[in-house]
Amino acid sequence: MPSALTTRRFTVDEYHRMAEVGVLAPGERVELIDGKIVTVAAIGSRHAACVDLFTPLLVEDVGREVRVRIRNPVRLGDSSELELDVALVRLRPDHYAEGHPRPSDVLLVIEVADTTVDLDRDVKAPLYAAASIPEYCLVDLPSDALKVHRDPTAGAYGHIRQLRRGDHVRPWALPELEVAVSEVLA
Amino acid sequence: MPALATTRRFTVDEYYRMAEVGILEPGERLELIEGEIVRMAAIGSKHAACVNRLNRHFARALGSRVLIVIQNPVRLSDRSEPEPDVTLVRPRPDDYSGSHPGPEDVLLLIEVAEATVDFDRDVKAPLYASAGIAEYWLVDIPAERVQIFTEPGEAGYGGSRAHGRDEMLRPAAFPDLEVSVDAILP
Repeated sequence: MPSALTTRRFTVDEYHRMAEVGVLAPGERVELIDGKIVTVAAIGSRHAACVDLFTPLLVEDVGREVRVRIRNPVRLGDSSELELDVALVRLRPDHYAEGHPRPSDVLLVIEVADTTVDLDRDVKAPLYAAASIPEYCLVDLPSDALKVHRDPTAGAYGHIRQLRRGDHVRPWALPELEVAVSEVLA
Repeated sequence: MPALATTRRFTVDEYYRMAEVGILEPGERLELIEGEIVRMAAIGSKHAACVNRLNRHFARALGSRVLIVIQNPVRLSDRSEPEPDVTLVRPRPDDYSGSHPGPEDVLLLIEVAEATVDFDRDVKAPLYASAGIAEYWLVDIPAERVQIFTEPGEAGYGGSRAHGRDEMLRPAAFPDLEVSVDAILP
């Protein structure tokens, strides 16, 4: 399709309505990225294993004010709703039953990429930065590395670090937690 | 973005359902092209005049031998339902109130392009060809010519010829008919 301008984009509300009326089937794995509905790749076993490795580390340390969310939707503005692998969100009394977390609720996003590194780096990073999500960690399985993005400014992360096995990292939102990169690379 | 993520494509049924429930609004000028919902460009007066001239010319020349369809849907498949500028279709007693015309009903399909020449050539021509539309005319207003596409196939039209202002056009479906390019162009 030559021009991106000609495609009819959808808002988050329209996207939800499509699911409500059955245009999007209940089992469908889709996301809304910048107004476009895209299919989500099936999750490989290495990807799934990585997510599982993060969970106990984070859950142990989150304390009372923060919650760990696994593969649940996060709404970024009016044009994007993504299913993040792991998100650290502020505790809310209703646990987001009334509505998915918004960017201001999100303290950390972790995406594991096996076949989608380019997408997660080139499309999603700017989206998270534009939503001012304080920290975005991309687990790049093909490169066997962690890419930690911080300082979101004007649609881009100002500070990006590449970490490998042997390195350690402390999440911005949980400074007391030290994670060994080799612990979370499946 | 589209190259990195797989777009969720829609069927004609899903497209209609979206319109039914109000996700797509009545005033929106849209087409479904290979499962993507695309906005149509606004119609400038030159474009409109072209359509008016084609309409008048064919109506006078062909009378009840055809039904002239102006900017109404033609259902090419379960993924594509464009609204071509001018489509000459076989007459049908119900005037297609039971269902939109399909490729087998189309005698000649014409698109007029003012700002959308690239799209009408690079996206629509292959689309019409793979649907088996026997003859497709692209009225290229900026270049002041009409491009005639013939020999439809899965990979696109096998034949293509441009005709300038001083030339006459003869539709294959109506060999007795002549249309002057100059009489069509604004």
